[in-house]
Amino acid sequence: MARNANKSLQAKLVLLGDMGAGKTSLVLRFVKGQFSEYQESTIGAAFFTQVLSLNEATVKFDIWDTAGQERYHSLAPMYYRGAAAAIVVYDITSMDSFVRAKKWVREVQRQANSSLTMLLVANKADLEDERKVSNEEGEEYAKENGLSFLETSAKTAQNVNELFYEIGKRLAKAKSSHETGMRLHSRAGQDRGGLFCCA
Amino acid sequence: MYGTKSKIDLAFEYQSQVAVLRPSIHSRRANLTVKFQDLYGFTVEGNVDDVNVLNEVREKVRQQGRVWWALEASKGANWYLHTTIGQGSALTSSLKFSALANAITLKKLIRKGIPPVLRPKIWFSLSGAAKKKSTVPDSYYDDLTKAVEGKVTPATRQIDHDLPRTFPGHPWLDTPDGHATLRRVLVAYSFRDSDVGYCQGLNYVAALLLLVMKTEEDAFWMLAVLLENVLVNDCYTNNLSGCHVEQRVFKDLLAKKCPRIASHLEALEFDVSLVTTEWFLCLFSKSLPSETTLRVWDVIFYEGAKVIFNVALAIFKMKEDELILTHHVGEVINILQMTTHHLFDPDDLLTVAFDKIGSMTTNTISKQRKKQEPEVMKELDQRIRRLNSLRMEDK
Ligand SMILES: Nc1nc2c(ncn2[C@@H]2O[C@H](COP(=O)(O)OP(=O)(O)OP(=O)(O)O)[C@@H](O)[C@H]2O)c(=O)[nH]1
Ligand SMILES: [Mg+2]
Repeated sequence: MARNANKSLQAKLVLLGDMGAGKTSLVLRFVKGQFSEYQESTIGAAFFTQVLSLNEATVKFDIWDTAGQERYHSLAPMYYRGAAAAIVVYDITSMDSFVRAKKWVREVQRQANSSLTMLLVANKADLEDERKVSNEEGEEYAKENGLSFLETSAKTAQNVNELFYEIGKRLAKAKSSHETGMRLHSRAGQDRGGLFCCA
Repeated sequence: MYGTKSKIDLAFEYQSQVAVLRPSIHSRRANLTVKFQDLYGFTVEGNVDDVNVLNEVREKVRQQGRVWWALEASKGANWYLHTTIGQGSALTSSLKFSALANAITLKKLIRKGIPPVLRPKIWFSLSGAAKKKSTVPDSYYDDLTKAVEGKVTPATRQIDHDLPRTFPGHPWLDTPDGHATLRRVLVAYSFRDSDVGYCQGLNYVAALLLLVMKTEEDAFWMLAVLLENVLVNDCYTNNLSGCHVEQRVFKDLLAKKCPRIASHLEALEFDVSLVTTEWFLCLFSKSLPSETTLRVWDVIFYEGAKVIFNVALAIFKMKEDELILTHHVGEVINILQMTTHHLFDPDDLLTVAFDKIGSMTTNTISKQRKKQEPEVMKELDQRIRRLNSLRMEDK
């Protein structure tokens, strides 16, 4: 498909991971540039939007930030259904959260659509003193599963923008017209609302 | 009679503390957003109109208080307890009549709101919490909290994690005293019902109960009656099956009561439970302003969980014209969020909820739930089996 400099795509992005891993904090850092020491726990899910302008395309993210508690698991399919990208987050100070992250990776690999872009994110990198999951461990697991891996800190903003840019770039690069979870509207005016769904 | 447990020594008599806000002419001109504390101490951000609405609500609350006092004066202090008919033949017909009259008055009155000062007393008796408490020894709560002190379970760990994340910044909840009190209530409940243990969402519900009830023991019993008697079963247990059931019932109701909205959202592939799940699990405490939330709870505790459906439908109904013009999921969510966050006048919402939605009896809702239950169970079961088979493959 021909590259169009003004290409604009809409992508559904979902964040998954243990409670308190920092999903909401990462999104708020990206969307509002803010961080709060005590972030309200998410119930069900929260929704955010953000637009990224890349050289390749303008990416409009619809971000679903889900609740992390185990029992909310049963709601997750509703949020990752049709997603173009998933960020699986764990907290480097909690081995439990890493275990939980691996379960998410497995589930998403099997349940969500196959063209989904998934990233593994090790958050709270600023808490080096309390680290329980080594960088190598995370990286290795990601490699084995063919995922990109980043260590981030929502608190210091380390790698947060990089994370979302990486996703945006990948989505823009993907053979867009066959992606699910993305809606292209480089050909505006077609179909309902000027969007056309490629799913 | 209410035990010796210390009253929450609340420095939070906001009602009297917070002076009526008078937006200056400057802020009016500049259409500034201002931050202020509402009746229950929550910081609210709003524009000048919102401030004015809140002041009006304060005045209405005061007037409503006078109505309640007048009734107490004429009918006796606990008149609202004498609303059940049929306690045997001992009742004379005139007494039966007055009971019925009281019941009608009470239902109307509660929909118009219970004054904040009377809430603890009225909620406690009308919800069934008083009755629940009376079936166990007086020392039940004290004994329970003492017995579980220092115990560590997965539930207590999650509770500890969420304490500072429950309405952060609230002048009482977000203090060491507030955290400790909320902790005792949630931990005690997690031991009372180990199926529920701790479910995220209950932290907000319990926090608001504490603010209203003012004693932690009463808040505990309100939480108990809510989970055990008022709400549908298994809302907060293991896989939230009760909540899944409610979501399905709600979808059907929306299709029936607001067909235009339902079919438009369906065309957008917008699953309403994306937004309503939080409403049901937190009983609106994270979405509506505090007094509006509590006005909803006034009715829930008297009329039952069906009220959640009325209110949720009303939120959609109020924005019908805007919702059917949306093109995108994000717009839908924005409209709903903006609406809920700015519903400072509870009557705006409750009038729609009770006058425009059409009546729904607890009976109809129960039937709907029965219908949905097997489907939900099947779905959750299939899911668990799929996940288990994934796990087996991993080994
Ligand atoms: N030091 C540090 N703290 C963080 C970081 N990210 C998040 N936190 C803190 O960790 C706590 C949990 O963060 P949230 O963003 O609410 O976590 P969540 O994954 O959304 O949690 P749930 O909504 O319960 O699923 C908050 O108190 C944050 O302030 C980080 O990068 N560094
Ligand atoms: Mg969160």
